[in-house]
Amino acid sequence: MTAPRDIFIGKLFELAKKDSSIIFISVDLGAPSLDKWRDELPDQFIAAGISEQNAINVAAGLAASGKKPYVYMMASWAARCFEQIRYSCAMGGNPITILGNGVALGYAPAGPAHEPTEDLAYMRAIEGMEIHSPSSAQLTLDLAIETVKNPKLRYVRLERSVDSTLEVFTTSDNDYFKNGMHVNGLYPGNTGAKKIAVFSSGYLLHRAGKVCEIIANKTKFEVTLIDFWRIKPIDLVALKENVKNCDFLISIEEQALIGGFSGAILESLSDLKINKGLIRFGLNSAFIFENGTRDQLLDANGLNVEEIASKCINQIMNN
Amino acid sequence: MDLGKKANQFRSELIKFKTSTGSGHLASSLSIVDVLISIYLDSSTYFDHKKDVLVFGKAHGGPALYPILAELGYFKAEELDRYCLPGGILRMHPDRSIPGCTYVGGSLGNGIGFAAGLAWAERAKQTIVILGDAELYEGSVWESLMFIAHWKLNNLLIIVDRNGLGILGPTEELLRLEPLSQKFESFGFDVLELNGHDFRELREAMTEPPKNPTVIIAKTVKAKGVDFMENRAEYHTIIPRETSVIASMLEGLK
Repeated sequence: MTAPRDIFIGKLFELAKKDSSIIFISVDLGAPSLDKWRDELPDQFIAAGISEQNAINVAAGLAASGKKPYVYMMASWAARCFEQIRYSCAMGGNPITILGNGVALGYAPAGPAHEPTEDLAYMRAIEGMEIHSPSSAQLTLDLAIETVKNPKLRYVRLERSVDSTLEVFTTSDNDYFKNGMHVNGLYPGNTGAKKIAVFSSGYLLHRAGKVCEIIANKTKFEVTLIDFWRIKPIDLVALKENVKNCDFLISIEEQALIGGFSGAILESLSDLKINKGLIRFGLNSAFIFENGTRDQLLDANGLNVEEIASKCINQIMNN
Repeated sequence: MDLGKKANQFRSELIKFKTSTGSGHLASSLSIVDVLISIYLDSSTYFDHKKDVLVFGKAHGGPALYPILAELGYFKAEELDRYCLPGGILRMHPDRSIPGCTYVGGSLGNGIGFAAGLAWAERAKQTIVILGDAELYEGSVWESLMFIAHWKLNNLLIIVDRNGLGILGPTEELLRLEPLSQKFESFGFDVLELNGHDFRELREAMTEPPKNPTVIIAKTVKAKGVDFMENRAEYHTIIPRETSVIASMLEGLK
């Protein structure tokens, strides 16, 4: 299997061979898929050194000159050049793609400096910014093509490990790409039973699927898992369609619970005047000073599958 | 063209539109007037405003460009009278919504990296970036300097408006910038130090585009042309509004 970031860069490399306006800027970060690029397309590769601010400003200048720049950095450091993204790219009207590698706890056990757990909140605030968390190989490929075909200011959150991709991508939704969300799993309940929608994204879809399974088994309610692989903008029509028959809404995110994923969904629900509440699960703290694998840290910090399921069942049954 | 006469005319227009609203940074604009005239209006300098690009790093001094752009026909001179007023197109910091301006204005330390991107993408095009000396405190400037020197972007000329003052006082007392020439040289730049109010020196430095990555340190006087404001840090944001004072400022230019 291939990690999502290598799927993305591999596809981009193929496209860059035919499109010389594609320029890859690395902030001193490598990837197996990048070695070939550096050898074969040196004129479309810029080693910016560990200097995120200049890398983004240069990318803005390239975009203003008609290039399609991709700035590849550890997701955590996108906060360091927030002003450059906001000012030179968003305000300046210069579309670039930021490839954030290793989102949320993806670099565990590197420690909290390497683990951006609020990046959705701060990136979401930038006007015109699109945010993507592709969860499958297919979506990652589709997204790479889209960024070349239709340049915009984008923050693409890429997983760096092979175990983070959903192996099977299934959807009956032909508009899944346009909508930015799709039904990723359906866990049937008893006939006429209440309906629950679970919203999640990226790496946490693994866990969210298991949560859905437990809830469906114990309550016999019908549970639907919805993958928000595009977190901004949220398609209100698609969201409305996905929640219209639901009695309970649940969100599960690998972020601190201020202004991030669930914040985005709540804003959208409010705009739609849908007031069903949202049972939210996220990290207990933005800064986790503990050792462990990503999964161990998730278990210990508010995102254990069994705990989420049992809290959900309690709330739903007592409602 | 009598550049000295033009300089007086533009300083006078700057003083008029700045004092009419009291908005912006008159002193920072006055220090860069002559450099901009040399770039835009001296036919012996290489910059061609129709195809080349000027990026303002120290955009708070950017309004110095407005009388020049009006002269070149980018917008009507009447716009100067509506500076910072509702319905007008000219703002405190020049930005891409204003004809003849690029980029956005107002955030220090970023124009140079943006200009580096332009210069990297289009080597046949000439780009000039104007930096304030106090802007050099931004770390991002030095990231960009490394980048420009490494890629030998000699189609990008860096001009530092070395008026010697930050908001709080002289740079050398606040936080030392010198030896500035050696700093740029050690980063791989050719450095030219000159009098930023001397059209002959400016012309000699800009007759041809640079052959190596180059920094011009233009030694200037903050608030140049208004005696009582010159070289005084407290006038960074203070703009006189009294009619008699404005009259004497304009009289002093003659």
